[in-house]
Amino acid sequence: MLKPKQMSRLLIAASRDQMAPVIAELYRHNLFHIEEYVDVGAEGYEGFKIGTPLSGASEKSADLIKIRAITNAVSLSADDVESGPSCSMDELQARIERELPPLEREVEELTVRRSKLDAREKELEQKINELTPFTDIPVDLNLYHGYKRFTTIAGYVSREFVLAVPHEKFLSQGKEKNFLVMVYPTERKSEVEKTLQEAGFQSVPVPNESGSAKGRIEFYEGEIAAIRKEILEISSQLEDVKKKHAGFLVACEELLKAEVDQTEAPLRFATMKQTFIAEGWIPSDKVTAVTNSLVHVTEGKIFVTVVPSDPVHDKVPVEYNNPDFAKPTQVFMDVYSRPSYTEVDPTLMISIVFPLFFGLILGDVGYGLILLAMAFWLRKYLKGEDGRHLLAVLRNASISTIFFGIIFSEFLGFAIPGWNPILYSRHLMSEHGGHGPNIPELMILSIWIGIVHITLGRVLGMYNHAKQDHGHHRTLAVMANFGWLAVMWGILITIWSTVAMPLMPDLTGLPLIATIPPVGFGLNVGHVIGIVLLLAGIICIARESVLEVIELPTIVSHVLSYARIVAVGLSSVAIAMVVNFMSITMFIEPQLENLTIPGIVLILVGIAVFVFGHALNTALGILGGGLHSIRLHYVEFFTKFYKGGGRKYIPFGMKRRFTEE
Amino acid sequence: MSVEQIAASQMGMKALGAGIAVGLTGIGSGVAEMGIGSAAVGAVAENKDMFGLALLFTVIPETIVIFGLVVALLLLFV
Repeated sequence: MLKPKQMSRLLIAASRDQMAPVIAELYRHNLFHIEEYVDVGAEGYEGFKIGTPLSGASEKSADLIKIRAITNAVSLSADDVESGPSCSMDELQARIERELPPLEREVEELTVRRSKLDAREKELEQKINELTPFTDIPVDLNLYHGYKRFTTIAGYVSREFVLAVPHEKFLSQGKEKNFLVMVYPTERKSEVEKTLQEAGFQSVPVPNESGSAKGRIEFYEGEIAAIRKEILEISSQLEDVKKKHAGFLVACEELLKAEVDQTEAPLRFATMKQTFIAEGWIPSDKVTAVTNSLVHVTEGKIFVTVVPSDPVHDKVPVEYNNPDFAKPTQVFMDVYSRPSYTEVDPTLMISIVFPLFFGLILGDVGYGLILLAMAFWLRKYLKGEDGRHLLAVLRNASISTIFFGIIFSEFLGFAIPGWNPILYSRHLMSEHGGHGPNIPELMILSIWIGIVHITLGRVLGMYNHAKQDHGHHRTLAVMANFGWLAVMWGILITIWSTVAMPLMPDLTGLPLIATIPPVGFGLNVGHVIGIVLLLAGIICIARESVLEVIELPTIVSHVLSYARIVAVGLSSVAIAMVVNFMSITMFIEPQLENLTIPGIVLILVGIAVFVFGHALNTALGILGGGLHSIRLHYVEFFTKFYKGGGRKYIPFGMKRRFTEE
Repeated sequence: MSVEQIAASQMGMKALGAGIAVGLTGIGSGVAEMGIGSAAVGAVAENKDMFGLALLFTVIPETIVIFGLVVALLLLFV
């Protein structure tokens, strides 16, 4: 929790004939993050070379490519298939040899036919395009060619022209340009070309066809329709293949991928004639288990040891270490940047605070229920891991929305009947039950959230620097973070000593120390403490980096930025209320008094406005609630302490879904 | 001018002020996000890992319009 999983650097050395069992065992554990061996003559690695794949690698790769070609052709992805009963490896191996070649032939034949038809369709469409301008010319297409002494040309001219050469022409008027077909004696070509050029002539090819242009177009259109029908048929055949063999294909892919991964693993090891060395990372609590099983499969002919490592300079791969309920939030961390090995992993904090922010912003039982239903309904369509995680986050956020909806007493913008808001109301109009909105209180509440959140961020920043930095720089960095905190709290204390505000401590009554004579402004103890903190803070910041001092205004803007929790929330309440007002008060209610036929139509319009408006507001609610909450984390919270840039932990192995070990 | 008229025109002025606050800051945010957004989309197209950082940069000027919204709410309701 709050820290990535602890990793140990493991070094495995054994003779080369043990390579296959060692690789298989490591793959089965799915824990070993291989540190790739690079042949740069590192110290202690003289004479080592990059390994060569195990036997059978190329055949397996070829099979895998075949399978992937098929799955691509039928657009099948392992995420679309429910993991069903898994089959054993031997059985699958036999089926691959027996069923894969005919299946490959079938799919290839279909895809080749489909691409040929696609090409033919394009060709015909091109022909139709070429023929279209000729439909206005009342001449048979036969007559355009077959002359010895005459030339036929076609094209667009932008203006009228007079030609001295004897010729025959057809002109069809277009909106911008006129289409021209002309026959002239070949010997006068240069004159004609000159005149045409002056008239802005753009030539188009004369189609080599016979019959009327319209007739030909109709003929080609018929052909295209037939081709499209055939393509549809092929697609449905491919769909049938997909349905029939989906389970087999994904299982094959998984099996072959596992085998290819294993046969190619030596490419990442350091090898000599008789021995090999594999280095990598493994979670510290798994070291004993993996070591024991490696010793077991090789009957003791192996050397495994933990190499001491430096967490700052060795780029340790980072694996999250979070309780189950915080795991979905890791998506947000990966979007920003994975934490580095030595810093605090804030996933757990986000997993709690993000739904709270989301709920505070949206805070409506109705929208909460809609989002909750959506989170469950979309599970059918989003099968990938990231999708699942996002839906889990949405689910938590919608539960929090319902909770705050009860607190604010809101249901699709209405007040919940017989239920007054607890603490503060966001109802913009007082006649809808209860009192008016408590804007100042809500605003100050959100400022408080900001103060607490930013203070937490700075404290974490101090902790991170204390852990990561060394020597003089460490003191400076920690003090600088403290300085930012001191400036923020100094400003706060000074404000509290000057004016009294609701929900904030009132320090105006503290004993006076001095009075500034010209303005008659009394300085009390609070002012002095505040100003001292402020100045001390600025000095601490400046000692680390003088340039940072120009960033001081961000203290105010970052704290005030949390006001968005209320502001965005209120705007969504306002939209909901406007929708309700338009649909119910303007359309539905006046008609309900005496029902008429146009009245019923108006009621239907009102219902449509209601549904559309709330659908829009739900979408805006997800965007507003989600984006603003995550932004408060990314911009206001993370910039205080978080660096990220950790390397992802990718264990050698896979989670088997369709095959057995 | 009667007292009611003055009160009504004050209310109207407040509403106008609130509208101007949200409107102008909205335009400001939009103009600021325009450049960042297009650059961010370009960066993400080059390298998908940039998405988080790109989103972060894009939403930084969002604060301007939030300030406008806060000012508007304070004008109208406080």
